[in-house]
Amino acid sequence: MYKKKRGVIGIIITIIILILLVVFTNRNVNQMSYIENICNILVMPIQNGFTYLKNKLSGNDAFFADIDTLKQENEALKEENSKLEQSLRELEIIKAENETLKEYVNLKDKYQDYTTMPADVINRDISNYSSTIIINVGSDDGVKEDMTVIADSGLVGHIISVTSNTAKVQTIVDTATAVTSKISTTDDTIIVQGTLDDKTALKATFIPTDAVVLAGDSIETSGIGGIYPKGIHIGTIREVVNTSNITDRYAIVDTAVNFEKLTTVLVITNNI
Amino acid sequence: MKKAVSIILLIISFFIIYYIQSNLFTWFTIAGIQPNLFVLLTLFIGLFAGKKLGLILGIIFGFFLDVVIGRQIGISGIMLGIVGLIGEYLDKNFSKESRVTIMLMMAGCTVIYELGCYVFNLITLEINLEIISFIKILLIEVIYNLILVIILYPLIQRMGHALEEIFKTKNILTRYF
Repeated sequence: MYKKKRGVIGIIITIIILILLVVFTNRNVNQMSYIENICNILVMPIQNGFTYLKNKLSGNDAFFADIDTLKQENEALKEENSKLEQSLRELEIIKAENETLKEYVNLKDKYQDYTTMPADVINRDISNYSSTIIINVGSDDGVKEDMTVIADSGLVGHIISVTSNTAKVQTIVDTATAVTSKISTTDDTIIVQGTLDDKTALKATFIPTDAVVLAGDSIETSGIGGIYPKGIHIGTIREVVNTSNITDRYAIVDTAVNFEKLTTVLVITNNI
Repeated sequence: MKKAVSIILLIISFFIIYYIQSNLFTWFTIAGIQPNLFVLLTLFIGLFAGKKLGLILGIIFGFFLDVVIGRQIGISGIMLGIVGLIGEYLDKNFSKESRVTIMLMMAGCTVIYELGCYVFNLITLEINLEIISFIKILLIEVIYNLILVIILYPLIQRMGHALEEIFKTKNILTRYF
């Protein structure tokens, strides 16, 4: 009986540890402000007391003399601050709306030569070592192998197999995908490949020795290779890693598409 | 009859695991890494129902996974089949009555399965070799699988013994004695 109880407690503890592991490993450090708050609540009252005492002892207590005036001033400032925050929020909303509208107009202009078909992502890869997605259009809708798939912000990948109602897409962040692309500012040709390390970034290799590559440069498809059409945005260079041999240098490219939140895509049905 | 029902139940469990894996574990990850419940299921079948069923169901499950979501067909089927075979071998040499033994078996099978798949993909898809990243992902995956074994151990034991009774009990034909 005691052994059975101990087993159940062990399982409960393991489940709690698992949940904590999942929560903490998937959070950014800057999203942990609530923990910071809790820690602050624990130490700050005593710390404030110590600071007050220290100031008293060192004769630096003039700061606390007119505390009532300071409180009033603080209230007025708080009110002003909230008003400013509200107007800032309104401006942010307008800015976001403006950017979305601009994006739509640009996308329409940019990809107006292609005939596209919208599709939803219905399944994702269950392996940690590859990155494929399943979309809800297939051969019945005119989708074929090797067709290019894009999203509103850039290149997603290409179709590797088709059924009557679904299609399997190998994304550009998959380790088996290599896309011949070019740096849009200099027109230098490079190869971008998916890595195991980061599913939001690509590794750009075969950078020409005379090419000037800078962080922030935009990368787009070159049209070489026969699968991806020319001029589709892939991402921007995050950093250039220089090695002792210049031919081995490589760059990390942040993908334009957020693959974790990808829900809708466009299949280009007429590669030109 | 009992055997047929058990096989159907195992296939249903595969589909339940498939939906859990593709809907829950795609976001319920440890540092972005998912566990692999298919290895656990196949090992479970190999251990408690024998290598024949472990091999056959492992190949079928792996083939299904390759067709539905994989980059190429074949390797998951082969590797899950091997895990099923290993299950029988482990059953003959080690005790299944200890949580730690099951955990060690699970860790070993996860490493064999993922290593096999990775090497195969490395050769056939000409992907870049990233040893450190691979080991890092594999370690987290093994830890995640072990945590799940700890949680599911009572269920594994109960279901396993029921399965063992159906598939591994020797029927003695008394008329020959």
